[in-house]
Amino acid sequence: IHLVAGFSSIRERTIAENSLVILLQGLQGQVTTVDLRDESTARGHVVNVDAFMNIRLKKVLHRDRRGRLTQLEDLFVTGRNVRYVHIPDHMDIMETIQGQLAKSHRVRNFAGGRKEYAKKKS
Amino acid sequence: MADEVEQQQTTNTVEEPLDLIRLSLDERIYVKMRNDRELRGRLHAYDQHLNMILGDVEETVTTVEIDEETYEELYKSTKRNIPMLFVRGDGVVLVAPPLRVG
Repeated sequence: IHLVAGFSSIRERTIAENSLVILLQGLQGQVTTVDLRDESTARGHVVNVDAFMNIRLKKVLHRDRRGRLTQLEDLFVTGRNVRYVHIPDHMDIMETIQGQLAKSHRVRNFAGGRKEYAKKKS
Repeated sequence: MADEVEQQQTTNTVEEPLDLIRLSLDERIYVKMRNDRELRGRLHAYDQHLNMILGDVEETVTTVEIDEETYEELYKSTKRNIPMLFVRGDGVVLVAPPLRVG
């Protein structure tokens, strides 16, 4: 089963659902700016964010601490190197988080598994 | 009404330090960060790692320059405003109500 919510393991899902990383995962597809620990910034499309806050971006404009610009097709930032993530103005935080949680719970039910969680929305 | 998600128990009493942060939800707070940074903004969300979502944020970065001749310390601060910011918890040093000046 291809996991809609993109978790590699149940462990990752538990880690993500118990922290604010779940909000960052809802940023998939959006354009945001990530401020890195080394004072550089990367602005691009969020491809994926995992439970450890590792972020994969595409079509990136990277600005180093001196202000020098580089265009990158793909950029992978390790979670430890993230300082800030700019959240797009239009985003509703609660809605995004609830949407992310609903997505992964729907997958569990669809997989015909145990009914640990209450019924799907009908 | 069936809940979609298992709800975690939330109490109204202050039992641990993180509960003090809970009291500041939706309030403006002051956050001191590593690398001489400070944030002032409205706390929308936080988690156990102190990852936070702040709205209407002002970030202040302070640098010290030493004049080579006079050895004077010149403190400079740069500010910028960001409408909505996700802050990674490992950069956070302390969280407090906004500092009152004067």
